[in-house]
Amino acid sequence: MAVARPGGTPAVKPSPLGESLISIDRVGKTYANGTIALEDISFDVRDGEFVSLVGPSGCGKSTLLRMVAGLGPITSGTMLVEGLSPKAARQEKADTAFVFQDANLMPWRTVMGNVELPLELRGMEKIARRAQAAEALSMVGLGDVQKSYPRELSGGMRMRVSLARALAAHPRLLLMDEPFGALDEITRQRLNGELLRLCALANWTCVFVTHNVFEAVYLSTRILVMSARPGRIIAEVAVPLPHPRVPEIRTDPEFTRIVREVVSLLGSATDAHEED
Amino acid sequence: MRSAGPPILVFVVLIAVWQAACRLLEIPRFLLPAPTDVVEAWIENRESLLGALVSTFLSALIGFGAAIVVGMSIALAMSQSKLLERSIFPYAVLLQTIPIVAIAPLIVIWFGAGMPAVVVIAFLISLFPIITNTTAGLVSTDHNLVAMFELYNASWWQRMVKLKFPAALPYIMTGLRISSGLAVIGAIVGEFIAGIGGLRGGIGYVITSAAAQIKMPYLFAAALTSSILGIAIFILVSFVSTRFLRHWHESAIRREL
Repeated sequence: MAVARPGGTPAVKPSPLGESLISIDRVGKTYANGTIALEDISFDVRDGEFVSLVGPSGCGKSTLLRMVAGLGPITSGTMLVEGLSPKAARQEKADTAFVFQDANLMPWRTVMGNVELPLELRGMEKIARRAQAAEALSMVGLGDVQKSYPRELSGGMRMRVSLARALAAHPRLLLMDEPFGALDEITRQRLNGELLRLCALANWTCVFVTHNVFEAVYLSTRILVMSARPGRIIAEVAVPLPHPRVPEIRTDPEFTRIVREVVSLLGSATDAHEED
Repeated sequence: MRSAGPPILVFVVLIAVWQAACRLLEIPRFLLPAPTDVVEAWIENRESLLGALVSTFLSALIGFGAAIVVGMSIALAMSQSKLLERSIFPYAVLLQTIPIVAIAPLIVIWFGAGMPAVVVIAFLISLFPIITNTTAGLVSTDHNLVAMFELYNASWWQRMVKLKFPAALPYIMTGLRISSGLAVIGAIVGEFIAGIGGLRGGIGYVITSAAAQIKMPYLFAAALTSSILGIAIFILVSFVSTRFLRHWHESAIRREL
């Protein structure tokens, strides 16, 4: 498979000795008007992991993710992505892909036009980039809608185009900000399965923001629970369930136990906030 | 073509009523010519009218073209910095509000009477909507798309050409639709106040001279011709607009409900 990393094997899940792709050390974010969005965030993400950030609305998880992508300045602490500052990593290594909350497609371009954008911006010439984009589209099962326009597609299909776009540039690190939030439950579960399948094939490292606990437990190897604003990491929950995941796992007792643990942690996070 | 039926029917009825009223009430020709009189005048003078039409059309076209180039350049500059926008905008508004009639003599002195002055007047009248609409379009780009372009390290030029400009097209097209009509009006008004007579006078001259000679049917025929010009230009610009927007913008998509 062209997108597998050379020497990487599919379905390898992280060894504790995996290389640290993201290093976050006591990072904080304060806005110009004095609002503290994030406080004292520290965690690492190792090669091959799937880490979910779960937290109440407004806790700053999206902000944090954007900082990892080099899209927002860090006001305190240090953050390293592949050993560089997030912005430098984005510019020099270009190994990071970001999937937004909504599909974020350019409506005036066809599906192909949208998927090939990252390669186009990089200066890749037409035939090569069309081929690479077509490959990405067929990986998400949309090989036959290349010439369609976004408005002709359903919400789920648009999100898959957005995924294909992220895929097309062969990233190493995938950052996702509640990408399936706007979709119905059936499509969401199906795309969860697709995402895991693609992650295994391409050996991606994922950081996934969501407030759907079931989704987080299904997808992740590790869950970080955040408090309400100012966002802090209040707990880390390991998810030792086997890979590759099967849909039946959603009713497994161990799955349910982990869900309950995360939910109660979230509950205390929100309660603590309300007491302030 | 089903949609053309009702307006055509209304048109036919109006013409019939107008014709009947003129004949039955014996309205004098210098007050309100009947449709048949207008058509007669049109046929009789068709050469001068068509010549005038071409002349006015050319002036409007050149003025419109210049307004597009200058207007979009100014809008581009204004979209790049709030400071530039604040500095330039009052002058754009000033442009909009200056009574052209008052500065017409100045324009004639600077550019020469006849077509040059007419083109300048058409340009001045059609400039403002292009500036405002294009600027609005360029600053209204979806911030998530802008973030995405930043994510992929796009250059200023790539962002402008591949993102901002296409995203601004609906706004730009609105500006063009408005300005195209204004360019025609501007050309005709220009011909009133700064035009020269004779063959190159354009429709404005025909209207002025017909009014002066109280040749009402001819006047009506000239006014009709200028409306046709306005409509033709509007349809042309709308066609271009639909062509660009039909795949994606709500305004140009035909939906089944």
